Amino acid sequence: MMETEEPRIGVFVCHCGHNIAGTIDVELVARNARHFPNVEYSTDFMFMCSDSGQQLIKEMIQLNNLNRVVVASCSPRMHEPTFRRVVEEAGLNRYLFEQVNLREHCSWCHAREPEKATVKAQDLIRMAVARAALLEPLEIQTVSVEPHALVVGGGVTGLRAAVDIGSRGFKVTLVEKESELGGHLRNLSTMYPNNEKAVDVIDRMLIAAKAVEDIELLTDSVIVDFDGHIGNFETKIKNLKTGKTLKRKVGAVIVATGFEPFEPDGYYEYGNNPNIITLAEYEKMKKSGSVLRISDGRPPKKVLFIGCVGSREEGKKGHEHCSRYCCTAMTKAASDIKNDTDEVMVLYDDLRTFGRGHEEIHREARHKHVMFSKFGHTKKPKVCLKEDEIVVKWKDVLSDTYCEFKPDMLILTTAMVPPAGTDEVAKLFSLTRSGDGFFNEEHIKLAPLTTHTAGIMIAGVAQSAKDATDSATQASGAAAKATSLMARKNVEIESTVSWVDETLCSSCHTCVTACPFGAIEMVTTKDPPIAFVTEAKCHGCGTCAAACPSNAITMRHSTDAQIMSMVEAFLMPSAIKGGGD
Amino acid sequence: MTEAGEKIDFGSMNPTETALVIGGGVAGMQAALDIADQGYQVVLVEKTPSIGGVMAMLDKTFPTLDCSACILTPRLSEVSRHPNIALLTYSEVTGITGEAGDFRVKVLKKARKVLEDKCSGCGECVPHCPVQVKNEFDQNLGYRKAIYIGFPQSTPLVYTIDSDNCIKCELCVKSCDREAIDLTMEDEEIEIPVGAIIIATGYQLFDVTQYRRLGYGRFKNVINALEYERLINAAGPTMGNLMRLSDGKIPKSIGFVQCVGARDVQRGVPYCSRVCCMYGIKNAVMAKELRHDDVKNVTVYYADIRAYGKGFEEFYNMAKERFGIKFIRGRVGEVEEVAKTKNITVWAENTETGEFLKNEHELLVLCPGILPPKGLKELADNLGLDVSVDGFISIQYPASNPVDTEVPGVYVAGCAESAKDIPDSVAAGSAAAMRASITLARGGEP
Repeated sequence: MMETEEPRIGVFVCHCGHNIAGTIDVELVARNARHFPNVEYSTDFMFMCSDSGQQLIKEMIQLNNLNRVVVASCSPRMHEPTFRRVVEEAGLNRYLFEQVNLREHCSWCHAREPEKATVKAQDLIRMAVARAALLEPLEIQTVSVEPHALVVGGGVTGLRAAVDIGSRGFKVTLVEKESELGGHLRNLSTMYPNNEKAVDVIDRMLIAAKAVEDIELLTDSVIVDFDGHIGNFETKIKNLKTGKTLKRKVGAVIVATGFEPFEPDGYYEYGNNPNIITLAEYEKMKKSGSVLRISDGRPPKKVLFIGCVGSREEGKKGHEHCSRYCCTAMTKAASDIKNDTDEVMVLYDDLRTFGRGHEEIHREARHKHVMFSKFGHTKKPKVCLKEDEIVVKWKDVLSDTYCEFKPDMLILTTAMVPPAGTDEVAKLFSLTRSGDGFFNEEHIKLAPLTTHTAGIMIAGVAQSAKDATDSATQASGAAAKATSLMARKNVEIESTVSWVDETLCSSCHTCVTACPFGAIEMVTTKDPPIAFVTEAKCHGCGTCAAACPSNAITMRHSTDAQIMSMVEAFLMPSAIKGGGD
Repeated sequence: MTEAGEKIDFGSMNPTETALVIGGGVAGMQAALDIADQGYQVVLVEKTPSIGGVMAMLDKTFPTLDCSACILTPRLSEVSRHPNIALLTYSEVTGITGEAGDFRVKVLKKARKVLEDKCSGCGECVPHCPVQVKNEFDQNLGYRKAIYIGFPQSTPLVYTIDSDNCIKCELCVKSCDREAIDLTMEDEEIEIPVGAIIIATGYQLFDVTQYRRLGYGRFKNVINALEYERLINAAGPTMGNLMRLSDGKIPKSIGFVQCVGARDVQRGVPYCSRVCCMYGIKNAVMAKELRHDDVKNVTVYYADIRAYGKGFEEFYNMAKERFGIKFIRGRVGEVEEVAKTKNITVWAENTETGEFLKNEHELLVLCPGILPPKGLKELADNLGLDVSVDGFISIQYPASNPVDTEVPGVYVAGCAESAKDIPDSVAAGSAAAMRASITLARGGEP
């Protein structure tokens, strides 16, 4: 056991290019670290995360017989797994590694005060060294993965994901609250960029689904209960028509709950004239056959579109984001309706036809003499109603002229917003939400499909506003994440979980109510009942350990002794042997 | 285990268990990882000496200003250490025959002249090499030796001898204790049986010299955005010190020109390149972030700001409000150099006010659009695929099957399909991996 072994700590200080070394005197910090208690070796290096940096750690562990490693570099969110693996490859338990976040917690935030930052860096490392001395090896645990996936939502995203998982040979259950599959595509006429009929897109997916054996498509159904942990979730699905519920055990989940088109109440006289409609309403009309004015059933002669309705509104919560699909969708709709209409006008802020084939649609629309006019970002058009007439006034910023147009149909291109019930979905799957109201991904750049809840993936508009092509791409991608999990059969879970000392537990239930993840329950077969932690569900937050009045709960890898040692090292630094440099 | 450098008998791989990924950028790496994680074998072919792609050259990323190398390096390690991934760097696909479930791929392994299983990446050879040439990784702004790695986190960490510039003095051979250098090594062609193929060959930037009026190549203080990325990168040629090329001074006023080689029918690039608005804004913010006391004026000349993705609009607002970046809607007409100061005079029209502007900047950064990579047409021909008029791999059903090419068993990820930012490339990499794994699981049957 490690307890009998004297700690021999190695400290590795990373320059991170200029990110750390540009502010902190890393050489001095590394030199002084050598004098902290139990430190046998210390050095600094350009990039500790690079292959050569990793190699250096391994070599120094061997050469100096180190049994604890402290790396002072960046946030552990990115590289803790990297360095844990490095020390493991050198023969140490991965939990005998400690990371100091010199970059985010020191050099970046104190960039203007390099000397003080250098002092703080030394404090942080001294604290980490004290803690490292008390680190204990933890057992690596794995759980099995149920080879069955759950897809929530039956739009283009959910269908794509379910078909992919099923085609790959894994069981999949798709849950859709509506009676029909296809989501918003069912209400669209034709789609950009290739003018394909939306119904054909759905049909192609449904035909593919039929060819798959183990796919269960549950319509009129909602998830009413969800519990468990990565690899082993249990869910209850309720049929809204029959009221019956059924249970499924699943190993991975893809949340593809999509969006709803924003209802623009209070915008541009919407609701006060029947010929003022949203783009979603226009699409429904077009799909059903023909676009006619609701007031008199006649085809419109002068159509005006307004973009960014409920999007890009600074300071308005839930409406600050760009909805990403609408510029191109609006441009395509304008181009299409121009074939049967005398005048078509598009009012926009910036025209964001960014995707493949989008600019071509934009160009074709202009070629057909659809008129485009840019309004100021903070000076939206004004709509007034004069009897039955719709009058739109705005300033065209490019020609610096005030314009007026009297459309006989006004189409508002509204934002994508999270659908009703998103709060409940977030709670069910322990997901967090970003400013736009959609779900947060694990990492905005490199992990857009996984979430902070292990085993739960997000795809399509559930992650952020986007069009069908980008949604289907994310769907297949999320399916790959779910499939990898199931194909591996087993998955490692964190060992930094809480642990109950049965002899100290006073059966008070405090921890059961304190745990935000429902990971603690009372074992009633014991008398008196004892708190029990389901380790795969534990996130290691430590709330229970703090709440326990009997000190019966220990947070592994963050024990009281480890934390107190850091406080002590900060407040009472032991004299540096030899006076430092 | 197939640790980098280990000898693998590629010829005996089982095609129903193996996928080929062409291109080791962020999309290709993701695709490789997501297939390998399912238990299949992956051969990842990358034409440069290291995986990482263009993302490895970037300084920070939008919209969070995450350091690009910092978030990328765990990915590089993960790929190189994955037991199911075999890396073939400095290699190119030269021919493909067969069909889904049973392709035969010819790969040319260019002679690296350094033995992958012996080189430890120590770099002892570098000071001995007498030949200094421009480093393409630093956009030719910095120098490297004829024996080199492009950047410190190169993966695999194996040196490469650039045969075009090596003078065969053998000083490196003598300096290498591990006897890892073999100047007699020759190119080698191998054949690999695979069941599914993913094209993730990335992109190239538009050549901004085509716009003579914008002064690139004529005036020293007109640079392109990737050069700017290297100039502000701590591991770059100036150690992260933003400076202009004429005199090494910190530019007090910087202009960014958007849509250079994008949305321009006359130059054959009618499409929007999807990333330039955001990287332009990010670079503008970085100038203020790095040198807030020195850089007084940062101006972006644009046509439409296309801040469409998650957190983009919010970032754009932050650039305007918190960092005080000036945004002027208008394409730049003409650019001139001020003879004495080497400053750059920019003529533009602010189309929102109708005002004609003559602004003087100390540095002008052109933000080029994205083109299909070199050799994509030939690769597509090899596979029996078509490229679209835009030059990228064509997709028949974008709304339902966005990564499926017209040839069964062949998929596409990232910018080989069209311009994309990092998260969209990552998602497409995962998506292509999913589709390829279905082909493998079904033995090539659709």
